[in-house]
Amino acid sequence: MPLPTPETANGALDTSVEELASSFSRAARAAGVVERSIRIGDSPVRLRFAGDTLAEELGYAFGHLADESGDEPALTIHAWDSEDSGTPPPPLPSLAPGSPRGSIVYTADEGRHFASRPALGQLSAYDRATARAWFWCRSAQELPFWEPAAPFRQILHWWLPDRGALLLHGAAVGREDGGVLLVGAGGSGKSTSALSCLASDLLYAGDDYVAVELEPSPRVLSLFCSGKLAPDHSRLLSHLPSPSFAGDGALEEKSVFYVAERFPERMCRGFPLRAIVAPRVQGTEPRISERGPAQVLAALAPSTLLQLVPARQEALSAMAGLLTSIPAFGLDVGGPTERIPPALERLLDDLPS
Amino acid sequence: MTYRVNSPNVISETVGGETIIVNLASGHYFSLQGSAVEVWQGIERGEAAETIVLELEQRYEAGDGEIDAAVRKLLEDFVAAELLVVEGNGAGDAAAAAPPRESGERVPFVAPSFSTFTDMQDIILLDPVHEVDTRGWPHASADA
Repeated sequence: MPLPTPETANGALDTSVEELASSFSRAARAAGVVERSIRIGDSPVRLRFAGDTLAEELGYAFGHLADESGDEPALTIHAWDSEDSGTPPPPLPSLAPGSPRGSIVYTADEGRHFASRPALGQLSAYDRATARAWFWCRSAQELPFWEPAAPFRQILHWWLPDRGALLLHGAAVGREDGGVLLVGAGGSGKSTSALSCLASDLLYAGDDYVAVELEPSPRVLSLFCSGKLAPDHSRLLSHLPSPSFAGDGALEEKSVFYVAERFPERMCRGFPLRAIVAPRVQGTEPRISERGPAQVLAALAPSTLLQLVPARQEALSAMAGLLTSIPAFGLDVGGPTERIPPALERLLDDLPS
Repeated sequence: MTYRVNSPNVISETVGGETIIVNLASGHYFSLQGSAVEVWQGIERGEAAETIVLELEQRYEAGDGEIDAAVRKLLEDFVAAELLVVEGNGAGDAAAAAPPRESGERVPFVAPSFSTFTDMQDIILLDPVHEVDTRGWPHASADA
């Protein structure tokens, strides 16, 4: 769909970066700065919010990654909204009339990425050279339910490759000495499987998006302490608390749980990746079987690549590389959910260390 | 006939003897097995269809014209799925580029096939991506 030509454009993203920095500064002066320091893998990350509202909305999912080291951040994310700060929005690209509300406009040059959902009032940007990123939204109160559950995904997708890692659409559970990545499209049983493990001794690193560090050996890095489930699926897991956000199934919303609230001892920052498992809702008993790497790549790659921009050959190649070094399995999860954790524990027991 | 992969919208990887192709524009993805993988890899190497047919005829036992017909049908399907773009009508130097006939025993030919998956296309329909040149990114007006 062709885009209208913007009214003003000089082709320089350095100007755009400075405009964002200025916008954030204005918002920070108006609403005050709330800082949170977290650590993703070995990398310190600083979150700078203009105002308490956005800090509470978008900072909560990182609670388990709090970092008190005082180390210089490898990435600083600046986040603000116009409603709370009373500042005007940054310049946003236009959309052609009739464009879907979720339409994304993306541009990049060497080391800088910009993506906006103009109709939803959101913008993300990343400048590799200065390790700075920006997230703006029109209103913190109007963010869709999935944003507080997995904030700054787009920025992390741009930044993680610079740290030798990938943002992947998947859940991860395991032990300190190793765990599994559960991959698949929505409805495959990935979240149900991961959240069922909260009733076991297995650790939880995420249910929808995690990072995987590729070198020196694959390692899951937890990003968000949230979990999302279709409202009717959450009834299958009686150990879960009431959701922080109760989704309306009729609106295709999911219920959001913050695992660190109820199960702080189960949350972890990551573990060595020992297997990639593709669940599917099938059968009457959890059953694990060997699966070809291409089948598991098909479960992992499209659902990851199609949700983030840019989707590039390099990311697909990295995922394929991961599947040549890590064994792949299928997991039928049609039976009682309480039998899923023992099945995964047996798999971990049987894998060569 | 020569073809090229419809990049950057189409990306692919071969792992464990199967090829996974993702069409980022449609949200469809594809799984190729057997000789379909060999055809795809031939296209990636820039080989003409005629060269690919000759290569397969070196390796597989098949009836007259069977491999040629199967490869052309597969390539037509790939073009229809916007995975490939027709680049030219010439056969190129197919005969010259064809490898010498292998002396080993040929195995029976199985027609190439692939599976198409459309379960992710809603993402593209609901959240389409418009990639623009940096000149297309707006700036604040001077009096803002």
